[in-house]
Amino acid sequence: MASTSFIPSGDFRTSYAADTTIFPTRTSRNFAILGIVALCFAPNLFSAYWLSVSIQIGIFSIAALGLNILVGFTGQISIGHAAFFLLGAFSSAYISNHFPIPVFFAIPLAGVVTALVGLIFGVPAARLKGLYLVIATLAAQYILLDFFSRAEWFTGGSVPASANPFSIFGYTLRGDRQYFYVVLAYVLASYVLVTNLMRTRDGRALVAIRDHYLSAEIMGINLTKYRTLSFGLAAFFAGIAGALYAHYQLVISQEGFGIERSILFLAMIIIGGTGSIMGTLMGTAFVVLLPESMEWISLHLKGGAVDHALSLNTNITFLREIAIGVIIIAFLMFEPDGLAHRWRQIKAYWKLYPFSH
Amino acid sequence: MRITSIRFKAWLGTVSIALAMASSSALAADQIPIGHLADYSGGTSDVGTPYGQAVADTFAWINKNGGIGGKQVALDTNDYGYQVPRAIALYKKWSAADGKVSAIIGWGTADTEALTGFLAQDKIPDISGSYAAALTDPEGASGKAKPAPYNFFYGPSYSDALRAMLTWAAEDWKAKGKPGKPKFVHMGANHPYPNAPKAAGEALATELGFEVLPPLVFALTPGDYSAQCLSLKSSGANYAYLGNTAASNISVLKACKTAGVDVQFLGNVWGMDENGAKTAGDAADGVVFPLRTAVSWGGNAPGMKTVMDISKMSDPTGKVYRPVHYVAAVCSAMYMKEAIEWAAQNGGTSGENVAKGFYQKKDWVPAGLEGVCNPSTWTEKDHRGTLKVDLYRAKVSGATEGDLNDLMGKGTIKLDKIKTVELPRKPEWFGW
Repeated sequence: MASTSFIPSGDFRTSYAADTTIFPTRTSRNFAILGIVALCFAPNLFSAYWLSVSIQIGIFSIAALGLNILVGFTGQISIGHAAFFLLGAFSSAYISNHFPIPVFFAIPLAGVVTALVGLIFGVPAARLKGLYLVIATLAAQYILLDFFSRAEWFTGGSVPASANPFSIFGYTLRGDRQYFYVVLAYVLASYVLVTNLMRTRDGRALVAIRDHYLSAEIMGINLTKYRTLSFGLAAFFAGIAGALYAHYQLVISQEGFGIERSILFLAMIIIGGTGSIMGTLMGTAFVVLLPESMEWISLHLKGGAVDHALSLNTNITFLREIAIGVIIIAFLMFEPDGLAHRWRQIKAYWKLYPFSH
Repeated sequence: MRITSIRFKAWLGTVSIALAMASSSALAADQIPIGHLADYSGGTSDVGTPYGQAVADTFAWINKNGGIGGKQVALDTNDYGYQVPRAIALYKKWSAADGKVSAIIGWGTADTEALTGFLAQDKIPDISGSYAAALTDPEGASGKAKPAPYNFFYGPSYSDALRAMLTWAAEDWKAKGKPGKPKFVHMGANHPYPNAPKAAGEALATELGFEVLPPLVFALTPGDYSAQCLSLKSSGANYAYLGNTAASNISVLKACKTAGVDVQFLGNVWGMDENGAKTAGDAADGVVFPLRTAVSWGGNAPGMKTVMDISKMSDPTGKVYRPVHYVAAVCSAMYMKEAIEWAAQNGGTSGENVAKGFYQKKDWVPAGLEGVCNPSTWTEKDHRGTLKVDLYRAKVSGATEGDLNDLMGKGTIKLDKIKTVELPRKPEWFGW
């Protein structure tokens, strides 16, 4: 559910602009700005490992945001998101390799290309509901994956494709330290854009479709148009994220981006909270950090008592996969509204401390 | 019972954040860091597990016997599940300015080929488990491959091994006195590793007078490949190259035996081993494949004692039978060790010097492994270490249940040497 905070009496708004602000108070807005400024200094303070983890969180949060528009705000479902992510990656590499377009422009162009393909897949998917919609998006996943492994002209076939590093007007950015700022800029832009979208007429139409599509249709909202639009938007952000990923890794391979990655994107938004934009970022951070902490745990368990007791040996790597599944189930059972809801509860608790009930 | 207490949840949150904040352990100053990519859970884990185990055992043995030049080796083994993105992420960690590794023991074709540019840029040598011919051209002089000055591997390349097997197959066809043109088909997954020798193999097959049939695709995972066997049967192929690792090749061998396909299977170095012969049983009888080492486990060679000592690092009883991949991995790791040793005496163990250490000797066999590792020569212009291919035939003469040691000891599973092919070092065959 999109957040609606109950405003206490005496706190009233006198204009529509004041009513639809993103930050309800000046303090929260200043905190947000301070946080972004602090992040600008992060590359100098973080170690290489944490820098790469934050860049990954940034990239995947843009893709998860796209999926949240589709799943959290429009009530559809897609298990083909990873394929659009890859499409963005390959298109950006293709555009920057084959045309004299610098990478700076190739990234948004790749987003547009992916959005167009997403619209194509959205046209049949917009008329389907429930299980049939899931299967249709599953079809998109496999069609695109097969296309990538066969289309030698586009991806080079089964061999990983190579992408150029990010360059802007002749100046090439090398290294994670500089790429962090590119990703930060894109994350900020995407999140501001989507938050804005949710305050506009179209955003409200999407939410209406999710809440009760029959009423929405009676009110005059064109269901097909908005559902298809939603698919296109989701694909756009997936494409942007994929393009950023391509120019970060400099090598694009389809391994690890099959259906398991699509499920992981779904996990990101479920864990973060389906209708919440801040929740997307929290959920992505959680899901990206989870395998890292599992690796750390399994590294320290290796050779120890638990390893011998369960005779894990080399199977300890599967502990990581098991943990991810268990966490998703645990969240669905105990925290269905995600981390965003939990964060709001924590804030509410401390607001009234020690008088909370 | 729902866990509703907010204190519990806050505690849970703190603990999970604390766990997530853990970073990797610091490196002692007087150690040689080496990165190790292993596949213990991915598409090639059936052969990746013994290879990775051997590398870990070899460096543990080296450390136990004084390290390299007095310094201990810090081997950072990571299971990357045969996924290129994870390999790239690990490479980023190993090539960071602080804690930069002196060398990498690599694995798969897709990730090693993807890393060639980065390795050259960051000057880190990589001895891989991939024998793709595209990794053999240090300067890009062949025009067929990207320059890969920091890539090495011990053993014949996939392309050279296939060329050797085709040379043998042509003679075998004539020796059997069969009329007409023999038919050759390439089988493997649509993946860089099985695809690596396809062009070279099909070109040489045509040159030798084979009729080349359209390639057949089967995945790296074990499965039901009866469809491919029926295609094989109906096309009338005589020689079929299996490009995948043992696990999926076994599925094909069994399915084709059931379908009654009469074809001579040619494997790659990873395509068949003693465990594979045991699992496939009589379906594996007659498969021809190359061996990278002069002898297999337990063979009669002075160097086998060293291999057995190394095996004791993870198997103190000495009873585990080690497949051919284990022995080959010991050779790979020991070549790297001697290259680092040379570098330590000639200017320090930076990656650049270690790469130069690979050019130290002609017909080089690591100390202690005489009679096991084949003599290899790497030069600045040519990273084809060896062009001598030992072809073996797997012979299975009975039921293969039971301990592998017994089966090998009784001779139920045998690896018979059929021919050693010395390929000419042709420039036309360089790099592909």
